[in-house]
Amino acid sequence: MEVTPTPNQPVKQSQKPVLQMRDYWSRYRAIVIVSVCLMQLTIICIVAMALIIGGAKPASMLFWITVCATTLASVPLNLYLTMQLLVPLRDLTNTITNAAGEKPRLPLANPNTPRYESDGFGRFLQYIYDGSATKDAPSKDSADSPNELLAAALKNTRAGVIVMNAKDGRVVFANKNAPVRLDINEQPELELMFNPEGLLSDWLDHCRNTAVHAEKTWYRVANRIVGDTERRIFNVSANYEKGSAAEVVLVTFDATDKYQPEDDDLDFIAFAAHELRGPITVIRGYLDVLDIELEGTLAPDQQQLIQRLIVSANRLTGYVNNILNASKYDRRHLRIHLSEETVTGVYDSIKDDMELRASSQSRLLAVTFPADLPSIAADRTSLGEVIANLIDNAIKYSNEGGSIAVNATTEGSFVRVSVTDHGIGMPSNVVGNLFQKFYRSHRSRETFAGSGIGLYISKAIVESHGGSIEVTSREGEGSTFSFTVPVYASVADKLQANDRTNAGLISSSEGWIKNHSRFKS
Amino acid sequence: MIRSILIIEDDRFIGEMYVRTLKHQGYDVDWMVGGNDGLIAAINRPYDLILLDIMLPEKKGTEILRTLRGGDKDLVPNSKIIVLTNFDQDEESRTMIEHNVDAYLIKAEITPRKLLEIIHNMDNDALTQITP
Repeated sequence: MEVTPTPNQPVKQSQKPVLQMRDYWSRYRAIVIVSVCLMQLTIICIVAMALIIGGAKPASMLFWITVCATTLASVPLNLYLTMQLLVPLRDLTNTITNAAGEKPRLPLANPNTPRYESDGFGRFLQYIYDGSATKDAPSKDSADSPNELLAAALKNTRAGVIVMNAKDGRVVFANKNAPVRLDINEQPELELMFNPEGLLSDWLDHCRNTAVHAEKTWYRVANRIVGDTERRIFNVSANYEKGSAAEVVLVTFDATDKYQPEDDDLDFIAFAAHELRGPITVIRGYLDVLDIELEGTLAPDQQQLIQRLIVSANRLTGYVNNILNASKYDRRHLRIHLSEETVTGVYDSIKDDMELRASSQSRLLAVTFPADLPSIAADRTSLGEVIANLIDNAIKYSNEGGSIAVNATTEGSFVRVSVTDHGIGMPSNVVGNLFQKFYRSHRSRETFAGSGIGLYISKAIVESHGGSIEVTSREGEGSTFSFTVPVYASVADKLQANDRTNAGLISSSEGWIKNHSRFKS
Repeated sequence: MIRSILIIEDDRFIGEMYVRTLKHQGYDVDWMVGGNDGLIAAINRPYDLILLDIMLPEKKGTEILRTLRGGDKDLVPNSKIIVLTNFDQDEESRTMIEHNVDAYLIKAEITPRKLLEIIHNMDNDALTQITP
């Protein structure tokens, strides 16, 4: 076989299979393991010989037990210890492999782990990362024309390219189409409203502390609030490379054309919903009046008709509230006023409605809250809407006669409320999208039940309480939706720092809960 | 014990809904549509309870509330006040409402049955402030 020599690769090497740097570690490890085992066995043999010479009977049971036990104990121990001691070497070869441009077989080591920070080894890794990063840059500078090409490409592309400093989140480079603005000090800053607000900075923190390389994509990130004529909506792809000259790179793709029609729809629906509110209030009210005044005079089936009217009117109110809340949330106008509440109290505010809904649709609603549940910091109306949405969802995706369980437990400084159904469940690929606006599961698209907005707004409300919402589901077996809200005692100080308690309400304004301040109008 | 109730509400359907419900339960009910009339009525007769809408013609509910309870002297010391609101106001009005009422009800949430329950609770526990 004839191989043409290249300037960097002498002929000699290419005749043998080229040993790649990334393969070194596994070979070396194999050698070490074999060596340790051999050495250990040799030692045991020598010891055994010595024992025999010293008078031990090789045939005795005790002798063999001693030899076997020593072997069993010392070989794994020795191997374990050796492997532990070799970890820095592994990380070092791995890091150098990466620096040399080969793709390492193992995940890259993080110099900021407690172990490496305390024993100083992290500095070695950091040095290699830094070195490889600075080496990259001049190699690209070497030719002028690719550089000019690159500059022109960056200028012409419709995508926004932003390079950020991972330490302080400052923008160090932004191309023409990047969503950046100048702050009061004339410094460029990112003009993107992540939702929730801290999404990007949390991710950066996470990367800085634990990652060497990370990627992330966010969808539907707007630069301005709804109504602003300059509003654009982006998909944002982020890349983090520890020690690189361009440590954090964001690439934004303008997807306004895709998302704007949906937002316009929502605006229109919000307007319509607002208009619907008045008449619905009247319908619900007069149904109530009829229900009160006709009590005892109706035949059972007529009474059931009234019940169905009431249930439907209440559900309609729920949907309208969801839409209005979602539009407020998107405009950063959703107000959450936290005060001391109990889960039972919150549930009581929707209890009649929920029981009516469940019974009129032949579902068994089993609500059990432990008596010793601590009080929570909540906005009763909003949180009631969340529970109602989850129960409504459970009714929608379960079968007639099915049971729905509502429970609560204490989890550290949070209370978790869960709603479990034994309905159709969902495959796992659906679960991740559930909390997106307008998302509806593969099945529900065929029916007209729901706008796909209930879970979206529930998530927003729960997160504005400082909690989180999640779902576990098995296809064919049912789903459990649950959310957490903080125990009142754990946040009381922060709430009372903003004392306006006369009407039993406390407003929290200064973002004491992360991402909370954005809900202030 | 709540016997007499003044309703200040400009929406004919909503007003009539409350009047009918409350009368059906045996309460003595007066209903004013305009803000000015409402304020005069509230001062002239010591109602046990005033149901006050915020968005009113002539005079806003917040102004009525400020006149009745915002000054040095409480002009309606024997009346309880329940405000009906959607909280579309600014933060300042909201605070003012929260400081000066015995309860407030979210207009889109309230139904006659809930209103009766709240009035009932006020009777049962006159000292407790009730929020919806």
